[in-house]
Amino acid sequence: MHYIGIILALTYIHIEHLVKEQIVMDENEVLLHEDLILLNYEAESKEELLENLSKILKEKGYVKDSFSEGVLQREIIYPTGLNTAGVKVAIPHTDAIHVEKPAILVALLNKPVSFKEMGSGVKDVEAKLIFMLAIKNPSRQVQTLGKLMSIFSEKDKLLSIYNSTTTKEVIDKLSKILS
Amino acid sequence: MSKMKRIIVACGSGVATSQTVASKIESMCEDEGLNVNVDAVDIKSLESFIDQCDIYVSIVPTGLKDWGKPTISGIPFLTGIGIDEEFDKLKEMCQK
Repeated sequence: MHYIGIILALTYIHIEHLVKEQIVMDENEVLLHEDLILLNYEAESKEELLENLSKILKEKGYVKDSFSEGVLQREIIYPTGLNTAGVKVAIPHTDAIHVEKPAILVALLNKPVSFKEMGSGVKDVEAKLIFMLAIKNPSRQVQTLGKLMSIFSEKDKLLSIYNSTTTKEVIDKLSKILS
Repeated sequence: MSKMKRIIVACGSGVATSQTVASKIESMCEDEGLNVNVDAVDIKSLESFIDQCDIYVSIVPTGLKDWGKPTISGIPFLTGIGIDEEFDKLKEMCQK
């Protein structure tokens, strides 16, 4: 009789642990997905890049039709290129109203695509590492985004991500950073 | 003790860039013992807040409007490049 009690107790503890793990994982992994990591990606222009990346997010159900236009428009007024050391970065995004489910799409470009620099809007940024952000709930995702942005001042981390050869490698590195 | 300086950071969609920069500035000021209050807002709300601040940290093209407040760039706090120089400017503004 006692065995049943012990087994039930152990099962309960095990499930509780799994649930907690999932919740913790969900905080980061809900934003990162292997099919949203694009290696050796190419685009001839910023517009083509933003349209194509938006299309991928739309097809997978993360964003609405209006997201693409939102990202393009925002990029014109408030550009998102960053002249970071190591590898140059861009973080295109738009208002939460265009987003269905939050996610971060990461594209590693073979050839740089020119963005305008955030802030000045004047200098060009030859970006090769693109983080397209689909933010649903800014206040909930702000911590994760803050952690992502903290690597922009770390040349080695940026290079490490850019030089990854598999999507799993990229996810592992980013998950560590976002945890 | 010097008077508390109110610093405001604004970005395009209030998504996270302004908050990341605000948080960075806050911790750097704390390390220096500067008496500041840092707020992050989205650019649309900026107009209603700008009068109340002492220093404006910009991460959007300044060409759009001159707010008439001591201004520094927030980009160095995101990229780390030129961060010391920009922070020195901020410190000077806090002394005034």
